[in-house]
Amino acid sequence: MSLTLILLTPLVGALVLLAMPRRLEGGIKIVANVAAWAGFLVSLPLWWQFDPSSADQFQFVTRSPWIPSIGAEYHTGIDGFSALLVLLTTLMGGIAITASWSAVSLRIKEYYIALLVLQTGVIGAFIALDLLLFFLFFEVMLVPMYFLIGIWGSDRRLYSAIKFFLYTLVGSVVLLLGILALYFHLHAVTGVYSFDVTRYYTLDVPPRLQFWVFLAFFLGFSIKVPMFPFHTWLPDAHTDAPTAGSVILAALLLKAGTYGFFRFSMPMLPDATREAVPWIALLSLIGIVYGALCAMAQQDWKRLVAYSSVSHMGMVVLGLFALTPTGITGSLIQQINHGVSTGALFLLVGVVYERRHTRQIDAYGGIAAVMPLYAAIFLLMTMSSIGLPALNGFVGEVLILQGTFVVSKVWAGVAGLGIILGAAYMLWLYQRTMFGEITHDENRGLKDLGLREVFTFVPLIILAFWIGLYPKPFVDRLAPAVQRLVERVSPEIAAGAAAAVHAVPDAHAAPAVPATTHPAPGVH
Amino acid sequence: MDNLQAIMPMLIVTLAAMATMLAEAFRRKDERMPIGGLGVIGLVGAIAAAGLLWDRNAVGFGVIQADNFSLFVTVVVAVIGLFTIMFSSEVVEREGIPSGEYYTLTLFSVVGMMMMASATDLLVIFIALEIMSIAVYVLTGIKRTDAAGTEASFKYFLLGSFSSAFFLYGIAFSYAVSGSTRLDALSTAIAQSASAPGPMVWLAMGLLLVGFAFKVSAVPFHMWTPDAYEGAPTVVTGFMSTGVKAAAVAAFLRVFLSAFEPLRGDWTQLLTWIAMLTMVVGTVVGVAQTNVKRMLAYSSIAHAGYLLAGIIAASAIGKSAVLFYLASYAVANVGAFGVIAFIATRERNTGELTDFTGLWYAKPMLAVLMAVFLLSLGGFPPMAGFIAKWYIFAAAVNEGFYTLAIVGVLTSVVSVFFYLRIVVMMFMSSNKAELEVPPFGIVGTLGLALAAIATFYLGILPTRLIDLATQSISTIF
Amino acid sequence: MTITPGHWLALSAALFTIGLIGVLVRRNLIIIFMAIELMLNAGNIALVTFSNLHQQVSGQVFALFVIAVAAAEAAVGLGIVLALYRNKETVNIDEITVMRW
Repeated sequence: MSLTLILLTPLVGALVLLAMPRRLEGGIKIVANVAAWAGFLVSLPLWWQFDPSSADQFQFVTRSPWIPSIGAEYHTGIDGFSALLVLLTTLMGGIAITASWSAVSLRIKEYYIALLVLQTGVIGAFIALDLLLFFLFFEVMLVPMYFLIGIWGSDRRLYSAIKFFLYTLVGSVVLLLGILALYFHLHAVTGVYSFDVTRYYTLDVPPRLQFWVFLAFFLGFSIKVPMFPFHTWLPDAHTDAPTAGSVILAALLLKAGTYGFFRFSMPMLPDATREAVPWIALLSLIGIVYGALCAMAQQDWKRLVAYSSVSHMGMVVLGLFALTPTGITGSLIQQINHGVSTGALFLLVGVVYERRHTRQIDAYGGIAAVMPLYAAIFLLMTMSSIGLPALNGFVGEVLILQGTFVVSKVWAGVAGLGIILGAAYMLWLYQRTMFGEITHDENRGLKDLGLREVFTFVPLIILAFWIGLYPKPFVDRLAPAVQRLVERVSPEIAAGAAAAVHAVPDAHAAPAVPATTHPAPGVH
Repeated sequence: MDNLQAIMPMLIVTLAAMATMLAEAFRRKDERMPIGGLGVIGLVGAIAAAGLLWDRNAVGFGVIQADNFSLFVTVVVAVIGLFTIMFSSEVVEREGIPSGEYYTLTLFSVVGMMMMASATDLLVIFIALEIMSIAVYVLTGIKRTDAAGTEASFKYFLLGSFSSAFFLYGIAFSYAVSGSTRLDALSTAIAQSASAPGPMVWLAMGLLLVGFAFKVSAVPFHMWTPDAYEGAPTVVTGFMSTGVKAAAVAAFLRVFLSAFEPLRGDWTQLLTWIAMLTMVVGTVVGVAQTNVKRMLAYSSIAHAGYLLAGIIAASAIGKSAVLFYLASYAVANVGAFGVIAFIATRERNTGELTDFTGLWYAKPMLAVLMAVFLLSLGGFPPMAGFIAKWYIFAAAVNEGFYTLAIVGVLTSVVSVFFYLRIVVMMFMSSNKAELEVPPFGIVGTLGLALAAIATFYLGILPTRLIDLATQSISTIF
Repeated sequence: MTITPGHWLALSAALFTIGLIGVLVRRNLIIIFMAIELMLNAGNIALVTFSNLHQQVSGQVFALFVIAVAAAEAAVGLGIVLALYRNKETVNIDEITVMRW
């Protein structure tokens, strides 16, 4: 029941906004913010009420028939990972709407309605446990985003909006074919028509079919992530979207892709997953390095952050497909981290864009002198993005690196290179914009962050430190989900870990097991 | 009594048509009469009659079978007629269309469509086809002073009669094979000679296929569609593109999946090629268009391809998918053409793409509704078109027609491109003065709203309609 | 020479083909229209032939129906041609090109 409440709160907000007269601009903004933050508050119980020690794979499950004749149900539920994602969604949604207070003046009613509908779509995608329901929300996300970019964006917004839409649509459609193939295979094996995700987890899929379905799913999800070479829509979409759009795109929509891998591709098609690891690792590594190098070459601030997203998400996918518990945990944490830090970075760009209406890096310089608070927060988020210890980025990156290292030292090495490059372009960006003399007179009069703007950053700062210093609550919530996935895709690691658990009380008899269950570094 | 019961929906609409004819005859020169209202009453009565006849399997005169399948299509066609009349009432005066004749012809055409879906005898199908088509030929050219309109009307008439002649010749050969024009007799005769069908059977099948393919606008018999759709008054185009297609597909389904069922293995191959070509040609040529009516004409050609895919799949899922697709395609398409009709002014009435520039800033509700209809046509959730396309492709994949499904899915994606183009136009701000949209009243608004609600309803809660469609199939096949 | 059904069918096919070619080749609207009527009548002859073959009357009845329908179609068609003529002052199909691709 409570998941549906979380799902519908933004939608109710959108409907209320629909009924409001256009002239009441102040009222519209207030209602939108109330709806968004109410959505966050309603989702907070997920943090406390989620039980990591429960034996159920999914909690808060709601299940009612939707289209019985084809076996589609309204089936929702969360595990540790989707719980965190839903919380991230409602938080970023609230932040995005509050950040838009003064940023948008054209057709603000429709703007907030689009944001709230988008919110519903994203939440729906993360809680759906029925393949058709998931696909529906996966597609529904595209439409409001398309309008956000196309109407309230900048420069080449129409081109970017269409590119975004069609690119992701092609992927989704191929994904649909994969879903259909699995659907009919299930029917052939069990005689039942169903889209229930849990059925597919236990379904035996022959290797040939796994290969093709994995490929279909891969196309759909990798375009969303985005993985090299399907990333070309991202820089355009990010740069031309309005600030709130970029924040939601980076923080949430990209996660829908990796979530898709975690929830669908990997557990349903384990053999194909294992076979695909070298290829996916290759594409991820290329994405990491290529994204970083492109970021370094950018003149447009937002485009730089966009390419940094490509690089970071490459890291996320690498950790995921390392198929080790540490790697997967790191990947999941890093997804949350990326949402926080990249969301914050886009917010930061939005702040100066609102003031100066330019994203060119060389139009700035020495800003730290006039906007010290801004510079401080920017530095913090830069460090978070780079992966400085004590901040969230470090936890994710270290886990990913360790999880990858046991699979291939070369991969971990190249990924490490990506981290170094990340530090390079971020620090260089910071230096060019914040430090030194103020080179442009327009920058002298810039006002520092207002109270509302600070408010939008506070939750992100808190999260950055929390995850960085004390990640245990997050890791605990993720652990059961990770364990289940590892059992499915890497049974030998899971068996080895189980043996290690049994052997721990008797230290002498401990066989040589991969100590990948411990997040402590430098064991092997 | 059973006889009359079976034809009750058609009878009601015929009476309504005659009433409108008489009302027009007795109308004084400038007297304003709600003639359209008579039509609405008739159509609503027909829907009610169809509802009462559900599950009764009434048979009329041995040739009209009011089984669930024909009742489903009857209701769909009546709904299309309702929407058309609702939209026309706004536009008829503005465009200088003689209203009495217009409504009469529309209603008679609806009768023809209903009959086509319910007939189990080839002769009756032929007559129904002619009733429907002749009325539509005239409707296409009803604006006598419009050069494009009369040209469209004549081209449609020409190619329509041409195909009717083929159809007739096919019926002649069917008669030769079975000694009767009834579909069940034909089915028995073909089944008996299924192992070695003579040349007559092939001729009959081929000629009938040509006739149907034309009416459904399948490639390569689609050439009439763009011209006819572009030249006709926009509300008539909405009517044609949905109603005629629905009736033709229904009759096609009935004839080929009951009478020619034993030869299914043979015509499936050919039809698959036709379907794939239709989808591709409709989509690819549609992308190149700059006139919205023409673009939607090519889009309806592509939709015919998807419908054919459902017929090819021919499983229980496939047939009910076709029915569901007809319903969802009808509401979305009629709605889209309604919007196009509403934004036309006396000067700017050809339906160019640029007519839509900045519609969102002038009339945001219209723009949103248009976007909803277009996205539904593109097969986008949560609109009806998504479920409809999903259902059809699922049926195709289930029966092993993978190539067909893949072509369908890919063309679906490409078609989103040209629907999006219109959407983009609407949201672009125009440099000229704000777009002028003539005012339209409550009836038109109600029509558009109902169409949009139906589109969302069928997309989010399709169960009811899917069940009805499945029930419809089980009664005949 | 006995006239067999084969002969009638050949006649029917010939008329159909002549009509078909007429529709495709001729330029004058009225002539094209006549060609279509020719095709319809070819169908009629076929129907009557088969009616004779099966020794039934239904084929002939059908043919009568078709004649009636064709007449209605002719009336409507000529009305359309008339409307077209009033707009374009021509009955040559090559000159009716308001709408292109």
